[in-house]
Amino acid sequence: MDPGRAVTVRVDDAHVYFRVYEDPAAGIKQLFSSGRTARRYQTIRAVRGVSLDLHESETLGLIGANGSGKSTLLAAMTGLLPLASGKILGRSRPSLLGVSAALRSALSGRRNILIGGLALGFTRAEVESRMDEIIDFAGLRAAIDRPLRTYSSGMRARLNFAIATARIPDILLIDEALSVGDQGFRARSAERIDEVRSAAGSVVLVSHNMAEIEESCDRVAWLDAGALRAVGEPGEVVASYLDSDAAR
Amino acid sequence: MSDSGQQTDQPLVDLTRPSPPAAYLAEVWRRRDFAILVPVQDLRAQNMGSALGQLWHLLNPALMVAVYFLIFGVIIDTSRGVDNFLGFLIVGVVWFHLTQRVVQDAAVCIPRNLGLIRSVQFPRILLPAATVNGQTAAFAPALVLALAAVVATGERPSLRWLALIGVLAAQFVFHFGAALLVARIGAAVPDLRQLLPHVFRLLFYASGVIFSVDAFVTSESWRRAFALNPIYDVITCARWCLLGEPVDPWVVAGMLVWGVVLLVVGFAVFWRTDQRLGA
Repeated sequence: MDPGRAVTVRVDDAHVYFRVYEDPAAGIKQLFSSGRTARRYQTIRAVRGVSLDLHESETLGLIGANGSGKSTLLAAMTGLLPLASGKILGRSRPSLLGVSAALRSALSGRRNILIGGLALGFTRAEVESRMDEIIDFAGLRAAIDRPLRTYSSGMRARLNFAIATARIPDILLIDEALSVGDQGFRARSAERIDEVRSAAGSVVLVSHNMAEIEESCDRVAWLDAGALRAVGEPGEVVASYLDSDAAR
Repeated sequence: MSDSGQQTDQPLVDLTRPSPPAAYLAEVWRRRDFAILVPVQDLRAQNMGSALGQLWHLLNPALMVAVYFLIFGVIIDTSRGVDNFLGFLIVGVVWFHLTQRVVQDAAVCIPRNLGLIRSVQFPRILLPAATVNGQTAAFAPALVLALAAVVATGERPSLRWLALIGVLAAQFVFHFGAALLVARIGAAVPDLRQLLPHVFRLLFYASGVIFSVDAFVTSESWRRAFALNPIYDVITCARWCLLGEPVDPWVVAGMLVWGVVLLVVGFAVFWRTDQRLGA
């Protein structure tokens, strides 16, 4: 790694905890014996003391078993999740790729482009001026006026990616979005990600596809039970991850 | 790999810290299209599967008023002291229903959009704002219905009707403030959603929706107490505009003061916790 390269995001000893209420089979006896009515909860430590720097023109891969805290760390990097302790610093706010949560399955693809674009901070005029570009990028020209619920999951994912990258962000966080779509779409989306890097931005890529990680990342971080187990060269980190119990 | 030095010197800022109120409001204004167009799209989506489609936005309030008129105009007569009871009832019912929908929807607007909150950065105030805008847009057919019914029952449009614009503006401010407060509480205490229907059932009788408070409540001080209820204030002012029903200055003051107080308190409470709403 080039040590002199500027930092775009700094994760400094970040902890993210979730409070999860238990779902006990409480009987009347317990209700009276416990004195107070506080419900029992469990604190899930999803991210435990992660420190990580992200640099200009870098793609960082984030790997780990299910439930190791990858998605939580990604969400925390946007500043959207409250931290239990630690800091997230950035030169601009990273954007998580994806607007699927904003989309309405009853409405057409075209209306969803409007809704998704507005959620991402475009004005109506900005969305409308990019409408054709987004439709073509998603390759959905024929289906664009059909309700979203008639789309296949691949078509939905393409639409989602096309809306989300309509404006190239400075720092892009991707949570397993690239393995969707056909060959042509994958090539186009890889191009978009290169655009971010060539504009001196940073990309974080969460994936279980190790070939994809090795192919597109400059550095890989391995997250294990909420803590960093290793950070370094993609080949080495992926190899030791695959050798470990976590990958089995 | 090339290293473009352009942005190298940009300082790192704490991303978890909330932006100051002025910057926050500027961002809200910049993104206002979201809070206006998305709820309108949602209204469209609502009735898309039904045979009568968008007509339901008009049929729903019409049927609601018909049921109330059948019960309180025909079966149990509560029309004492009111000249035009159908007009009186329709204004009460559609206006009350609007406030109820705004508040009940605001209570769930944060939990319902948690996926969006956790994946996209935007000022969260846009969600209660979208709730208010959506319900206000849905109110438009009901308003047309009310105006038509009032004319059909013999009222003639007069200059007084212009004051309705002021009432609608004041009620919008009141709704916006209430939505902010309720959205914040509803995000912290999901139980609120179970409680609200009961609160509104009580408010329904405390707002003079189906009877004239002036005719039924004889004590002057009790009548004053009704002015403390903002929903009663708004309904009474709307009735004055459209039907010429009497209105007390306290009622007008109540509507305005509630609006301003709720807006200020609601914004302060909401803005402070904006960034923590995703937890």
